[in-house]
Amino acid sequence: MGGADKKEDQLMLWVEGVSRQFNALWAVRDVSFSIEAGEIVGIIGPNGAGKSTLFNLIAAAIRPTSGDIRFLDHTITRAKPYQVSRLGLARTFQIPKPFRQLSVRENVMLSALRRHRTPHRANRLAGETMEFVGIDHLADTSVASLTVGLLKKLEVARALATEPSLLLLDEVMAGLTPPEVREMMAAIAALPSRGVTVLWVEHVMMAIMNVAQRLLVLHRGQLITQGKPAEVSKDPAVIAAYLGEKYAARS
Amino acid sequence: MAVQVTQAGADTKTGVSGWSLSIAPRRGALSVVEVIVLAACIAAALTMTNRHGVDIMIRTFLWAGLALAWNIAGGYVGLISFGHAAFFGIGAYTSTILLLSYGISPGIGLFGGALLAAAAGALLTVVCARLRGPFFILSTLAAGEVTRIAALNWRSLTGGAEGLEIPAISSATDMVFATQWPYVGLVLSYMLLVFALSVWIERSRYGYYLFATRDNEDGASAIGINPGVMRVSAMALSAALTAIGGTLFVQYFLYLDPTHIISPDISFEFALICAIGGLGTASGPVFGALIIVPASELLRGWLSQSASGLYLVLYGLVVILVILYFPSGISGAIARGWAALTKKKTS
Repeated sequence: MGGADKKEDQLMLWVEGVSRQFNALWAVRDVSFSIEAGEIVGIIGPNGAGKSTLFNLIAAAIRPTSGDIRFLDHTITRAKPYQVSRLGLARTFQIPKPFRQLSVRENVMLSALRRHRTPHRANRLAGETMEFVGIDHLADTSVASLTVGLLKKLEVARALATEPSLLLLDEVMAGLTPPEVREMMAAIAALPSRGVTVLWVEHVMMAIMNVAQRLLVLHRGQLITQGKPAEVSKDPAVIAAYLGEKYAARS
Repeated sequence: MAVQVTQAGADTKTGVSGWSLSIAPRRGALSVVEVIVLAACIAAALTMTNRHGVDIMIRTFLWAGLALAWNIAGGYVGLISFGHAAFFGIGAYTSTILLLSYGISPGIGLFGGALLAAAAGALLTVVCARLRGPFFILSTLAAGEVTRIAALNWRSLTGGAEGLEIPAISSATDMVFATQWPYVGLVLSYMLLVFALSVWIERSRYGYYLFATRDNEDGASAIGINPGVMRVSAMALSAALTAIGGTLFVQYFLYLDPTHIISPDISFEFALICAIGGLGTASGPVFGALIIVPASELLRGWLSQSASGLYLVLYGLVVILVILYFPSGISGAIARGWAALTKKKTS
C-alpha cells in the first residue's frame, strides 16, 4: 500500500470495478466510484437496480465476485462486518435490527462501548447521540414499543455512536412521517460538520435531492451516471431508467 | 411489518448509571429483594439442624450455582443447551479420576475438570456455529448423549456402568468430610461466587456484548462485535463453572456413574430452573432453584407412599403455569409487581 500520495489520503472510500453475481444474475456489475471525506453522496435507482447489493458489498455483509473496495488505508474487499465497523465504517439496516430485550439507551450505549470501554462512560456518548437524533426522551423505554420511524432513528443513533468516519444509510426515510423526514434530513445534513462522511441509499427523492451533494445513479446493476442532484434529475438516461424511453424522449 | 410482541422480560431500568440499590431485581444491580434472599440462604445454612433438611439445602445451593452457570450460555448469549450434563459429568469424572488414580486433591482436580469442560464447550459451539434455535438445542442434546454413551463404554477410565466410588474416609485434602457442614460451606460459596460473577457480567462490556449477540447477531456484528467469539467464550465459561459444580456434587455423594450424572434430566433441570426463575438475569436462577429443588424433593417424599409419580404431574403443571403466566420468570414477576405497586402509590 506504499506510495499513497496526498490526493489518495483524502479519499474516504474507493470502489474499483466491483461486481456481484447471484447465480445467472449480475446484481452489481463493474461499478467504480470514490467518495472524499466530508461528502454526502446518495445512491438512487429504480427497484432492482442493485442499490442494496452495492450497499451490502461496501458494508462487508457480502463479498464481491470481483473488484476491490478500499476504505481509508484498508482494503476491505474480504473483511467481515465487525472488522469494517472497528475501522470506522458504520451502517444502518433497512429493516431495523435492534437489541430487543434492551432499552433504547442500552442499544445506543452498546455501540459506544468499544471505544469507551465501560457502560458508565459509554453512556455519556449515548446520551449525546440520542439527543442529536431526537430520541433522548425515550432513553429508558424498551425498543419493543417503538414505532417504525423511531426504530429508524435508533438505527442511525446506533451507527453514529460507534463514532464512524463513514456512515452508510440504507433507506432511513422509509416509514417515516413527513415531520420525521424533515428532522432526519436536518440530522443527515449536519453530519459532515461532525466529521462524518455519508453514503446514502434512498427511495424518498425529495429528501435525497435536497440533502445529498452528489448522486450516483444505478440501473440494472451498473452505474449509469453521477453528478449534482439538479444535473442528474435532468439526465435523459436517468429519466429513461425511471420512467421508460418514451418519457425520456418527450422531455 | 410483523406485529411486535412486547417482551415481558424487557424491564427497562438498568444499572448503566452506576451502582445503586433498587428494591426489585433489575439487570446489573443488586436489589433489596436479592440481598434479603441471599441473606436468608446464609441464615438457613447457619441454623438448620434437620439432616434431611440440610441435604435438601445442599442440593438447592448447588443447583442454584449450576443454573447460574447454565444461564451464562442460555440466558446471556442465548445458547440454550440441553447437554450441560456432559460438562457436569466431565467435571465430576476428571476430579474423581485424578483423585483415585493419582491422589490429586479435588481442590486442584476441579480446575482440570473446568479446563476440559471449557474446551469441550468451545468445541461444541464451534462445530455447531451455523446452527440456531431448535437445531442448536438438539445438537447439544445429542452431544450430551454421546458423552454419556462414551463414559459407559470407556470402562478402563470411567468404570463403565458400575461407576466410581470415592472412599468415605474423612480427609480435608481429599475434600471428603464426615459431617454435612463443610459441604454446606462449599456449595454456598460456589453459589455466591457464580452469582457475583453473573452480576459482574451484567454490568460489564462483555455482558452487553453477549446480550447484543443474543438479541441480534447482524446488529451486533455491525457495531464491531464478533458474535462467534462471544458465543464460544460464554459457552466455555458456562461449561467450566458447570464442571466445578460436578466436582462438588460427586464429593458430597461420593459415587458417580454415567446414567445418573450425564443424564438429560440434569440438563433439563438447569434449563427449567432458569426458565422458571427468569432467563438472562442473575437473580432468576437463584429464585428458581430455591423454589424448584425443595418443592420437587418434598413432593417426591410426601407423595412417594400414596401416589408415586404424581409429583412429576404437579411439577409439569407448575412449569406450564409459570411459562404461561410469568414468561419472564419469578424475577421478572417481582420486578413488574414492584413497578405496578410504586406506580399506584405516586398516581
